[in-house]
Amino acid sequence: MAVKLGYKKVFRDPMGYPQWHARGLPVATSPAGLVEMSPQPAAARPIRGWAFIWTLLGIFAGGIALNLTPCVYPLIPITVSYFGGKTAQRQGKLLVHGVCYIGGLSVTNSLLGVTAALTGALMGAMLQNPFVLGAVAAILVFFATSLLGFWELRLPYWLTRAASKSYTGYFGSLFMGITLGIVAAPCIGPFVLGLLSWVAGMGNPWLGFLIFFTLSIGLGLPLFLLAMFSGKLDKLPRSGEWMVWIRKLMGWVLVGMAAYFIRPVLPQTAGTFVLAGVALAAGLNLGWIDRTRATFRAFEWMKLGAGIIGLVVATYMIGAFVMQGPGVQWQPYSDQLLSEAVRKEKPVIIDFSAEWCAPCRELDEVTFHDREVVKQAETGFIMIKVDLTRKGNPVHEELLRQFKVRGVPTVIFLDRRGKEHLDLRVVDFLPADQFLVRMAEIRKM
Amino acid sequence: MKSASKSVFALVAVAVTIGIVWHSNRVVPAKEATWDDVRAEARQAGYRLITTDGVLRQYNQRSESLLLVDTRQEWEYRTGHIKGALNFPIEPTWLSRWRNKGALEKFLGPDKNRLIVFY
Repeated sequence: MAVKLGYKKVFRDPMGYPQWHARGLPVATSPAGLVEMSPQPAAARPIRGWAFIWTLLGIFAGGIALNLTPCVYPLIPITVSYFGGKTAQRQGKLLVHGVCYIGGLSVTNSLLGVTAALTGALMGAMLQNPFVLGAVAAILVFFATSLLGFWELRLPYWLTRAASKSYTGYFGSLFMGITLGIVAAPCIGPFVLGLLSWVAGMGNPWLGFLIFFTLSIGLGLPLFLLAMFSGKLDKLPRSGEWMVWIRKLMGWVLVGMAAYFIRPVLPQTAGTFVLAGVALAAGLNLGWIDRTRATFRAFEWMKLGAGIIGLVVATYMIGAFVMQGPGVQWQPYSDQLLSEAVRKEKPVIIDFSAEWCAPCRELDEVTFHDREVVKQAETGFIMIKVDLTRKGNPVHEELLRQFKVRGVPTVIFLDRRGKEHLDLRVVDFLPADQFLVRMAEIRKM
Repeated sequence: MKSASKSVFALVAVAVTIGIVWHSNRVVPAKEATWDDVRAEARQAGYRLITTDGVLRQYNQRSESLLLVDTRQEWEYRTGHIKGALNFPIEPTWLSRWRNKGALEKFLGPDKNRLIVFY
C-alpha cells in the first residue's frame, strides 16, 4: 500500500514483534492509562460524525418520500397552480416565494420536533420504562393499521378548506407552507410520530429542530422544484392505486419502529425474532401479496426492491443470531470470587447491566461476543455480571454504593490487587477494539 | 414482471445474505503463512522483506531516520512493541486498507525516501 503512495524504501518484517521480543531486543509498552487514546466523548450522544450525516440524509429522503402519501400528493397541483400564477414575476422573486414556502413548512414541523425534544427531557427517563415503551409501541401499531388501510384518519373539514385558500405576497407563501404542514399531518403524523419519540428519547431540542427541519426540506423540495419549473406537471406519474402501496410501506416502517421500541422489554431471543418476523412479513406483503399495479414500470421494481429488502433484513437478523459465536462466560457476583481473584492475582471486570437497557444489550451482543475479547476474558480475567433488572437485592445495592455506580451500563476494571481504575470505566457502548485496549491496560497495572 | 422471476431474485438475495453472514461469523483457523506465501505477497505488492537481524542493523545504525510501523491492533501495540515503533492499525482486509489510505500518507510523512519497516 505504501508502495503505491510513492514511498521508495518500504520493507516488511514478517517475523515482527514476537521474534524481536523473544530475542530480548529493546521493546516498550505504552505508559499505563488512556492518555494517548482518542478522547472519548464525555456525554453519551446517540449519533455523531458520519452516522449523523447519514441519518440526516435518510430523514431527508424520507421527507421526499412523504410527498407520495395520499394527503400530500393531491396538494401538488394546488401548490403548482399557486406558484404558476406567479410565473409572470421574475425568477428571483419566485425563488424567494419558494423559500418562504419551505420556511413555512419547516415552522410547523420544527415546532413539533422541538416540543418533542423539550418534553422528551422529562420523558427521557420514562422511555426506559417497560410500560411507556409498550404504550409507544401500541400507538405506533395503531397508526400503522391506519396506514395499512384498516381505518381512515381525517382532519376536520374547516382546516382542510382553510389550507386550500390562497393568499398573496410572501406571507401568503409562508402561510401556504404552514398549512401544508398541517394538512399533511394525518399522513405524515404516524411516520413523524415514530421520529418524534426517537427525538424525545435523545432529549436535545437542537437535534430535534435539525431533524425536523431536514424532514421539512425533504418534504418541500419536490414541490419547490415543481413550482420553479411549473408547466412540466404532465411529467408526474398519475396519482392512483400505487400510492396505497406507498402508504402500506410507511405502515410497515411504523410496525418496525414499534418492534424496535418493545425489543428491550422482551427477552433477547424473542426481541430478535419479533423484529425479524416484522421484516419478513413486510417483505412478503409489499413484494408479493400486495397486488397493486401502476401505469409506470419503475413501480414493479420498487415493489420487488422493498420485498427483497424485507427478506434480506429478516435473513440477516436470524442468520446473525443463529451463527453468532460463543460469548463471554459471566459469573454472578460473590465476595469470595473477588478475594479469590486477588489471591490468584487476576484482574476482574464487573459489568453492571439490566435487561431493559439498550446499550447494555449492544455491549453484550457485539463487544462481549467478539472473539478476541472472549479469548482474553477466558484466559486472563474473572468476568462478573451484576444484573440490575430487578431492584432490591441488598448485595447489589451495597456494590452500587461501594463502586459509586450511577447507572447502567457500567463496566468497571479491577487490577490484580483488586483496586478499581476509574479512568478505564465504561458507561456506554464501546466497540471491541477499544474494550481490548482497556483489557490490555488493566493487565499492566 | 412474472412472479416466478421475482421469487428467483428474492432467493438469490437471501442466499447471498446467508453467505455474507456465514462468511463474517465463521471461525478462521489460524493458518501459519509459509515463507513462500510471504514472498509471493511481497512481490505482488512491491515491497521488500527484511529479517529481524536486518531490522536490528538498521535500528542500531540510524535510529532517527528509520520509521517502524506497527500495523497490529492498538491493544496489541499497548501490550508491547519494538521500542520507537509507531502504531497504525491495519486489519488484513481490503476494506480496511482502502479506508486507511489517506490517513496512511499523512502518517508516513512527506519524505518518500525514508526507510519504512512495517510489521
